[in-house]
This record gives sequence, C-alpha cells and structure tokens, in this order.
Amino acid sequence: MIEVEGLTKLYDKFPAVSDLSFAVRPGEVMGLVGPNGAGKTTTLRCLSGIIPATHGAVRIAGEDLTTNPVAAKRQLAFFSDEPRLFDYLTVQQHLTFTARIYQVSDYQEIGRRLLEELEMADKIELLPGELSRGMKQKLAIACGLLHSPKVIFFDEPLTGLDPLGIRRMKDSILKRAREGAAIIISSHLLHLLEEVCSHVLILKNGRKVVDGTMGDILQKFSEQSGDANLEEVFFRATGEAKEGK
Amino acid sequence: MICALIYLQVQSIKNRLRVRLRRLKKPKYLVGAVVGAAYFYFFFFRNLFTGRRDVAAGTADAAPPETLLMFESLGALALFAMVLSAWIFPHERAALVFTEAEIAFLFPAPVTRRTLIHFKLVRSQIAILFTTLLLTLITRRFGGGGTAWIRAVGWWLILSTLNLHTLAASFARTRLLERGVSNWRRRVVVLSALSVVLAAAVLWVRRTIPPPEASDFFSLDTIKYYVRHALESGPAFYVLYPFRLVVRPYLAPDAHVFLLTFGPVLALMLLHYWWVVRSDVAFEEASVELSRKLAEKIAAIRAGGNWHSTAGKQKKKRPPFALRPVGTPAVAFLWKNLISAGRAFTLRTWLFLALFAICIGGPMGASQLSPGWLPPTIGIVTAILAGYSLLLGPAILRQDLRQDLVNADVLKMYPLRGWQVVLGELLAPTAILTGAQWCLLLLAVTMFSRIPEGDAVPLTNRLSFGAGAAIIAPMLNLISLVIPNASVLLFPSWVQIGRERVGGIEVIGQRLIFMLGSVLVFAFALLPAAVLFGLVFFLSSLGMIAALPLSAAVAAAVLAAEAGLAIWWMGRLFERFDLSAESVS
Repeated sequence: MIEVEGLTKLYDKFPAVSDLSFAVRPGEVMGLVGPNGAGKTTTLRCLSGIIPATHGAVRIAGEDLTTNPVAAKRQLAFFSDEPRLFDYLTVQQHLTFTARIYQVSDYQEIGRRLLEELEMADKIELLPGELSRGMKQKLAIACGLLHSPKVIFFDEPLTGLDPLGIRRMKDSILKRAREGAAIIISSHLLHLLEEVCSHVLILKNGRKVVDGTMGDILQKFSEQSGDANLEEVFFRATGEAKEGK
Repeated sequence: MICALIYLQVQSIKNRLRVRLRRLKKPKYLVGAVVGAAYFYFFFFRNLFTGRRDVAAGTADAAPPETLLMFESLGALALFAMVLSAWIFPHERAALVFTEAEIAFLFPAPVTRRTLIHFKLVRSQIAILFTTLLLTLITRRFGGGGTAWIRAVGWWLILSTLNLHTLAASFARTRLLERGVSNWRRRVVVLSALSVVLAAAVLWVRRTIPPPEASDFFSLDTIKYYVRHALESGPAFYVLYPFRLVVRPYLAPDAHVFLLTFGPVLALMLLHYWWVVRSDVAFEEASVELSRKLAEKIAAIRAGGNWHSTAGKQKKKRPPFALRPVGTPAVAFLWKNLISAGRAFTLRTWLFLALFAICIGGPMGASQLSPGWLPPTIGIVTAILAGYSLLLGPAILRQDLRQDLVNADVLKMYPLRGWQVVLGELLAPTAILTGAQWCLLLLAVTMFSRIPEGDAVPLTNRLSFGAGAAIIAPMLNLISLVIPNASVLLFPSWVQIGRERVGGIEVIGQRLIFMLGSVLVFAFALLPAAVLFGLVFFLSSLGMIAALPLSAAVAAAVLAAEAGLAIWWMGRLFERFDLSAESVS
C-alpha cells in the first residue's frame, strides 16, 4: 500500500507539491488529476524515489522510502509517459538486465508470459529503435512488471497507444488491482479515470483540493448541482473555466 | 514578408542571448564565463588592445609577393576542391535546412519560394559572420593592427561565395535529376572534365620543365618550384582563375590592393546570388524530410541515446557474457555498458590481441634479424600509448554515468544503493581501458628486448616492469574514471551528459576549470600511493625484480581504498542527486 504524509517538494523556493497526504490500499486504483503544472508528475516522481521530497514521509508496502529506499523500491514500478529505454539493448536484453537488478530468478518464464500478454513475443531480438512508440511503452511495462510490484505508478499511461492498446492497458491495470496491487494513475483523460479508478485525488497548484472514493466525490458534487461526472467535478474543484460554459 | 522572417531571426537571437545572460546569475556559470572570457582575451584579443603585433601575423604580412602568390594558388586549389566536391559527392535533392517549427509556420504560409531562399540566405549569414570572426581570431589577424578588417572581409567573401555556390549547385543537381540526368551520369561527366584538366596540366608541366628526379622529393624548394610551376602557369592557372579572384582580397597586403581585388569577387558573388534566387527548384519536400531527420536526431541525442537508432541503423550487439538473473547487481551495469561499447570489447577480442602480442612481439623482440631499432621503438611507443590511454581513456570511454545520467529517472528507481549504481557504471570503462593497456604492456614487454642501439634488456626485468604496471593499471583507471563521474554528480551542468553538446563562453570556461581541477585531483589522489610505492620499493630487501610488482601491489591497494571511499561518497551523492533541480534552474 501507499502511505503519504505531508509530502512537500520545493524547487528553490517554488512549492511544486505542498503538504500532500493520502493513502492507497491494496486493490485500489487512485486517479491523480489536476491542471497542467498542478504537481502530478512531481508527486509521482517523489513517490517512486526518482527525486527526493523536501519534506514529508512516503511508505511503500510498509517500507519508508527515505530511510529504507532499497526495500521500498523493490515493491514498486513507475511508468512514465515517455518510455525510457537503453537504445543498445534488445527487448530480451532489457528483461535480462532488469531481472538482475531486481534479482528475479525465474524471469524467463515471467518475461515470456508478459511479452505474450503484451503481444510482443516475436520482437525479443529487436532494438528500441526498431519498435513503434506503443511497442516501446509495452517493453517498459514488461520490464516494470517483471518483479511483480505491489505498488504501481502510471504517468499518462495511454499516450501513444492505439484504441486496442488503450483497451488492453485498462484491462491490465484492473487485473493488477484485482491481484492486490495499489495503483496511482495520473492522466488528463478523465473518462478513463472514471472507468478505471476507485479513488480520485485532485491537485491544484501542488495542493490537494479533492480526495476520496470516486462514488463519494461524484455524489457529493451531484448533490450540489445535479448529476456530475468526473469532468464536472474537475472543473468545479479546480475552478477552471470549462469551454462553452 | 522578409521583414517578418528577419524579425523571427533577430528575436530568436535576442532571446537566446537573454537566456545565456540570465544563466550568469548562478555563480557556477558566472565563474565559467569569467574564466572563458579570460581565456579568449589572453589567447585572441590581448594584442588588439595593447597594439602589439603578433609574431605569426607579422611574418605573414611581410611575406614577399611570390609567397603570397603561392598562398593564392594553394587557397584557390582548396576552393576548387570544395566546389568540385559539391558536384561529385552529394546524391540527394536540394534541401534547405529549416527547423520543424519553421516548416510548420512558413511552408503553409503565403510565402514565396524565393522569400524562403532569402530567409535561408539571411540566416546563413549569421553563421558565416560568426565563422568569419572565429577564423579571423584564430589566424591572429587582429594582432596585425590595420589589416585585421581586410582579413575579416576576405574571409566573409570566401565563405559567402562558397555558401552561395553550394546552394546553387544543389539546385542545379536537383534540376539535372528532374531532367533525367542521374547522379552517376553527372559524376562521370564532372570526373571526366577533371581528368582532362589534370592531364592537360601534367602535359604542360612535362613539356615546359624537366621531370623531377627521386632526390628532388627531399628538397622543399624543388617541390615548391614544381607546385608553383604547375599552378601558376598553363591550363591550371586558367582553371583556377575564378578561385584566385575569391582568395585575393583575403591576401591583400593593404587597403589599395584590397579595393582593386574586391570588385571582381563581389561581381562573382552577385552572379552566384542571381543564380540562386533565379533557380526555381522545388526543395520543400526534401527540406521537410531533412528537418524531420534532424529533429529525430536532436531528440535522440537529448534522450541520451545514439541518434543512429532512430534511423534504424543501430545494430544488435552480442552480449559480452551470459548474465545470470541473480548475483551482484553492479555486474548488470558492466554487462549493459559493455554491450553499449560494442562488439569489439569482448573477452575473446582481448585474448586474441594478447595472443597476437605474444606471437608477433615475442619472436620479433628475440630475433636478431629484424632491424635493431624497430622492436625497442615499438616497445617504447606502445608503453607511451599505454601511459597516454590513462589520460585520454576517460575522455573517450563514456559508457558510465556520463552516458546514463540522462536516464537518471530509471537508475534512481532501481532498488539499489547509490554506491552499487556508481560502482556498476564505472566497471565497463575500467575493464575496457585495462584490457587495452594490458595488451599494450604485453607488446611493450615482448618488444623492448634491447635499448635502441644499446644493451639487451633481460626478460626478467621486462616482466617485472610489465607486472608492476599491469597490477597498478586497473586502479589508476578506476581513479581516473571516478573524477569525471564524480564531477557529473557534483556539477551536472558543467559536464556534458549524454551526447547533447552545449555552447557558450561560460561553458568553455567551465570546461577549462574542470580540466584543471581533474588534473589536480588526480595528482592529489596519486600522492599517497606514490609515497607508499617509493617506501616499499626502496626499503624492501627483495631486489628490483620482486620489489617492483610488490610495490605496485601496495600502491594499487591504496588506490583501491581511495576508489572505494570515492565510490561510497559518490553513491551518497547519487542518492541525493536531483536532476530536476538542475533542469528547473
């Protein structure tokens, strides 16, 4: 599970994220939304240990990310919107390298199943330069899931995917959640989040403005002004003007 | 319309300058700028302010007319070769280089093709003016006082004319392709014409002066005589005449001669300009393709990758060894970075090279038949190369944090301690460098069988030296690689990360400071090891043969301890490393 207490990230004196606290339990999928520059990506990068938080505590599956980063990172996977791959390693070599880093002894079987699931079993000898953008994303996902993480962060996971890829990605996220993973998805595609997420957290200027289960939030905003979907909730919560209204 | 395009260019330059100036608010850039400016001042501009004449410039100004004529001939010949290459080598259609943004804004806009060409010409002038300044500074002409402006205008005329001709030639080549004249047909015609000219020039020389004898090739004056005769008379003189016109203003000794030579080259330039703007050749499609490739290249370089991969040219590389899924994680980095280094750096290659050194070096070194000077000379050269590789190796081999830090996001997510990542990243270049040095040492040991023109060197002595050097080499390499990698973590914006190159006077200054600092740190790191080496060597009673490897082992142990401490400290730096802070600032 993911536990965040008072997370703050400053760039010089600029607060990208301020005093953020929340928790995501196993099996829950939390949607992280907010306008551009709200601090979503910074939050995810802090939670995955890529950048250090200025203040606050983050626990991943019970392990403190600051005091015990190795144990915490062993439990998580982070998928950025732009897949980061080594351009001189083939698909198979990426899996081999990742397996050694995460000490996955039976990686060949897990890797084979993942590649089949992601429909790239016939591409194991290809280099990233020979893969389409969607395929690169799938390779990054295969590498990230190789060690069966208990906590998964997705930053704009649907960028560059075709409709079938989007469908499969949604199914894959839900499957991991059913298997007990705690998941956070950052995306501007509110209809996707409405379909996939059990919880939602809306950020604005680095601060939490709304947090709760999807049902509770939709109900709360519906009580205020009739039926509301996540898009309506987003505009009202962030005070952003909706075009045409 | 052209005003809007000039506005775009001027604003781009202004904004770029503003960003550079804003960067100077940070001390590290300010210090870099001060050092860079001092470097330029002392190296180029000092004489401009003091009025002292530069020695090199003075001698060139005072060159006699026949020397100037020789310079003119050689300059014309060089220009001729460049122009000729524009007609022989290129195979693609005319494509003006535009950025993707320029294509997106300008190509669909109501802008004529001629306006786009003018825009391109105006923009190329910025690069030409900068190159002119640089060339004038490099040739130290500002030290020459009154003639500096002549050299600057001379360079400008040469570069502008060449630029216009290259552009016009690309249009003409495209026109020929459109009319069904293939690249190879064009090349055959150009090369045939060149052959005729060369044959005529050779015939002319053979008929007018006696052919050179073998001994003539050892006399510089005789060679100069033949070159001058071939270029300054007969057919070559007439073929090179237009090129001479272009070079002459640069070589003018005074303002009067400059003004006399300025007219013809200006006319030639205007003629080229007319040729370019009158060419109605479709360059848009090829430009779009070229811009796309450039954008891909830039994106790949910024991502820290090899741009060839985007073009699908990168080849799959065989792993150096089979990587097991469980074991020391640092080995995974060694495995990965050896793949990155290429198929040349495998254990098999090193064994082959070692075997080669023994099979060739051994018999040659022991042979009394080979020339006496050859084996020891090869031995000395290889030993020097091994020494130089210690200095040059870390600059060439960058399969470490300097390559991977652009992927810092990925590295920092790994469940590893910082020191494990740092150690892993350092292993590949250390292994490659050590492998190369051991091969060179093996060659040096086998070859250095005697002092040139002197006594034989016993094999035991050579083995002792070789073993000592081989023992200490890996640790020296590790220390020399620790320095640039630590610098990346301490001053990420001072060191080139990935393959993206950044410019600016402050960056030059930073590199100078970094270079000096690296040498000092390396010397400081070697000091304790050198002291212990000396103590063990001179105090042990083992004799030189055994004392040398033993001392080297002690020194290597000291260096290993230093490297261990440095790696632990760098690991802490890596754990705290926040690339986003650098990016944001």
